[in-house]
Amino acid sequence: MDSLIETFHIDYKLLIAQVINFAIVFFVLYYFALKPLMQTMKDRTAKIEKSLDDAKRVEEKLSKTEEDYEKELAKAKKEANEIINKAGVVAEKKKKEMLSNAKDEIGNIINKEKEKMQQEKAKTIKEIKKEVANLVVASLEKILGEKKDSKKNQELIKKIIK
Amino acid sequence: MSKTVGSEITTENKIEHKSMVTQEDNHEEVGVEARTEAHEATHEIIHEHTLFAEPIYRIGNFNITNSLTNTWLVVLIVIVVSWTLKKRISLIPKGIQNVFEMVIEGFLGIFDSVTGARAKSLKFFPLVFSFFILILLNNWMGLLPGIGSIGQVISEHGQKIFVPYFRGGTADMNTTLALATIGVVISHIFGVIAVGGWNYLNKFVNFKALAEIPKKVMKDPTILIINPIKIFVGLIEIIGELAKVASLSFRLFGNIFAGEVLLASMSAILAFGLPIPFMFLEVIVGLIQALIFAMLILAYLTMSTMAEEH
Repeated sequence: MDSLIETFHIDYKLLIAQVINFAIVFFVLYYFALKPLMQTMKDRTAKIEKSLDDAKRVEEKLSKTEEDYEKELAKAKKEANEIINKAGVVAEKKKKEMLSNAKDEIGNIINKEKEKMQQEKAKTIKEIKKEVANLVVASLEKILGEKKDSKKNQELIKKIIK
Repeated sequence: MSKTVGSEITTENKIEHKSMVTQEDNHEEVGVEARTEAHEATHEIIHEHTLFAEPIYRIGNFNITNSLTNTWLVVLIVIVVSWTLKKRISLIPKGIQNVFEMVIEGFLGIFDSVTGARAKSLKFFPLVFSFFILILLNNWMGLLPGIGSIGQVISEHGQKIFVPYFRGGTADMNTTLALATIGVVISHIFGVIAVGGWNYLNKFVNFKALAEIPKKVMKDPTILIINPIKIFVGLIEIIGELAKVASLSFRLFGNIFAGEVLLASMSAILAFGLPIPFMFLEVIVGLIQALIFAMLILAYLTMSTMAEEH
């Protein structure tokens, strides 16, 4: 053992100095390099994992939203169609109603006019008859040259006209 | 030790190898006396690779060796790099941070295969990584030009000896022994924390097995043979712990020191070109040795924190 120490010049002071050197290296490495670096790496891993997780969740949410949107859209379309159909039916109905109303009214008006015209016609004919009688009387008086008493006249006229 | 006579900067090219001579002499004090006899009258400067780190300055009775200065340099580098890194850490990695994160991730992957659980890897990581960085930088620093070739000339017993200012930190037994001791001692501390003091003590001095004998001997007589073996195995483990320290420190020291001697020998044969492949080899050896040391410490930590596995 002594010869070993002699050969290699082993000195406990040097040993202690080297132990101190190692301690310095360890503490410097640990506190300045390894600890913050590994913490950073851990943080980064956590952050990336979280980001990926978030992205997945967002994607899921998006696809769900899209699905919902499609569904809502289809529903809205269906509803709109229904409304349009309904409106069409109502309009048709209304149209028919109005048409029939209009026809009725027109018919009424025509009937009224017809009646009026008939009345007028009858009146005109009556007047014409009266006029013609007067004319005949006048012309006969002229032809006969004399005026018979009006009583006879009247009877005669009536006979002629009939 | 003697005082400085004059300082001189020499290059690697001039390195001569006389260290072999000193070892052949079989002196107890390998350094000083041997040189004196071998080169009495010569006045050339002697370069040699001693097995120990040479002191270059003295404060009181504390020798500052060239390996210690090199380790200080490594500590300084670690502080500077860590400091700059700390200021630049952000959630979005850039530049140097990317490199460090890649290294950390890689290491954690390897650690998982040893510890078997990420939580344990994370717990041991800072300690084991500190070993790795300190040893790696020390190994590689020993390869830089200027380290081992810039120094002073010391006059000793009438001859001039070249003493470099820097020497690879791990090419000194003191460094490797200190690191190995820290590693093994810390593995025991972790063990005591994880398993509990009494249980941990029983791994080495197996009181439990001893206490079991009278209780169970009626039911199972084979316990009379098995439990003494258990106690003996526990005692062997104590020696095993010492062997851990020895194997860790000598492996690292031997590899790095041998590398330096090899490089010096190669440049002594032919300084141009020839050392280059060996330089690459030493770079790889430095990395591998640092990795082996760190991995073994990790294995010891894992083993000592596991509950008894008999």
